[in-house]
Amino acid sequence: MKTYRDIVGDGGSNIVEQVTAQKNRLKARMDSVRHIVAVMSGKGGVGKSSVVVNLASALALQDYSVGILDADINGASMAKMTGVRGQALETGETGVMPAMAARNLKVMSIDLFLPDDSTPVIWDAPTQKDAYTWRGMMETKAIREFLSDTEWGELDFLFIDLPPGTDKLPNMLDLLPQMTGTIIVTIPSELSQFVVGKSIRMAMELLRTPVIGLVENMSAYMCSQCGHEEKLFPGSMVEELAKRHHVPYLGRIPFDPRVAVCADEGSFFLEKHGDLPATIAIEQIAHRVGEFLKQQRSGDTDLRRL
Amino acid sequence: MKFLCVECDEPMKLTDTKGPDDGSMTVVFSCPECDRKIAMLTNQMETQMVRSLDVKIGGGSAQEEPMAAIRNSLAQKRDDIFSSSMHSHEETDQSESTSKCPFTGAVADAFEASSEIVWTRQAEERLGRIPPFARSMARQGVERHARERGYKEIDDAVMEEVRDQFGM
Ligand SMILES: Nc1ncnc2c1ncn2[C@@H]1O[C@H](COP(=O)(O)OP(=O)(O)OP(=O)(O)O)[C@@H](O)[C@H]1O
Ligand SMILES: [Mg+2]
Ligand SMILES: [Zn+2]
Repeated sequence: MKTYRDIVGDGGSNIVEQVTAQKNRLKARMDSVRHIVAVMSGKGGVGKSSVVVNLASALALQDYSVGILDADINGASMAKMTGVRGQALETGETGVMPAMAARNLKVMSIDLFLPDDSTPVIWDAPTQKDAYTWRGMMETKAIREFLSDTEWGELDFLFIDLPPGTDKLPNMLDLLPQMTGTIIVTIPSELSQFVVGKSIRMAMELLRTPVIGLVENMSAYMCSQCGHEEKLFPGSMVEELAKRHHVPYLGRIPFDPRVAVCADEGSFFLEKHGDLPATIAIEQIAHRVGEFLKQQRSGDTDLRRL
Repeated sequence: MKFLCVECDEPMKLTDTKGPDDGSMTVVFSCPECDRKIAMLTNQMETQMVRSLDVKIGGGSAQEEPMAAIRNSLAQKRDDIFSSSMHSHEETDQSESTSKCPFTGAVADAFEASSEIVWTRQAEERLGRIPPFARSMARQGVERHARERGYKEIDDAVMEEVRDQFGM
């Protein structure tokens, strides 16, 4: 009697072939992206999305071609923060065209598919019993579709806005083994610093993804009247934390209400406010990210080669 | 998983799939020798597994439509996601075979009737790599190329010839 190995093919179910085709499609799409950068944090609400938009716009303002993928399916904010909410999508030759923000910044987010701000993401599930497992599966599926079915074109940078926490990063790396690295955002509260240590170790030790660096957000409050700077949290040690884990410290962005105002109205903070401390800080961080990636291209810091 | 007809010692071939229905899929295999049929009935976990891979049992490797899962599985979505000018594309995309869309179906039928050129399975598969909305145009293009050169059959070699032109 024949055994498994005697039989060529899988009798027509074509599963391996389809999975391979999916992988190839994603890889082919990402081949025209030079750097894929995921932005993560240990805790929620520390300003990841805000950092994504500000870094992406800083680079777009320098005439790089930049895209943003909103991988935070249940807390999507990229469409609103970049001002593309409500834009109609177009189908192109090989996929769906991304929404276009100012400075040709390309954006893809589940938000572009939802009727209004208050609609939650609900997937049609085969049975309600499985709704929970189903959800995680659909999220991964959606992210893969966003990556491979969006006509990103040639990009210098693709930023990925991750949901808070580290649990989605392994998934992301499964999809995108060619990811360049991660940026970790934290605020100088004690709890945040504690959690961020875990994120760094997760990224570096378990997943062997280069950490491009640590961004300290809302580091201080600047009085808009007199320019006096006040620490929001006493005893910030984020810079030491970075040293301890041997990851670059990219800089601190002070708390400035105008950052939040721009995010809410979907305009670029850097374009609106030329020479505030927060503007200079963001530009500096963008510069350091650029430097890191140049190095990365020569292969010195690619931990995955180990 | 593979199925073997013990009597004939022949690998069985997939002939039909149904479902998922209430979390279960029915996949029918038959023996090419004796035509014996068996059905594989999946439980919920097995169905989930197949689904999580985002594949169809017996499906082709060609993409159905861009972002199919998002479009088809979001319970509540904007009804103006895609700009109206692309609406016709969407209709073509969603039809699994071109015949569902009256327009492209008619075109394809008319075209097939007039064409005596045979496609090998490999060539058909390569055509399948082209997005659905561009496929019928590509088919016409390849057949035109073949006809101009007097080919009766479109095989891998012919596809190679036109590859640069159509990016297959
Ligand atoms: N430097 C800053 N100064 C003032 N406001 C800021 C600053 N950074 C972020 N914010 C504001 O803080 C809020 C939270 O930021 P954001 O949404 O970017 O955080 P997040 O880490 O992406 O949150 P989530 O974990 O929910 O995705 C937003 O309203 C944002 O505009
Ligand atoms: Mg966010
Ligand atoms: Zn003051």
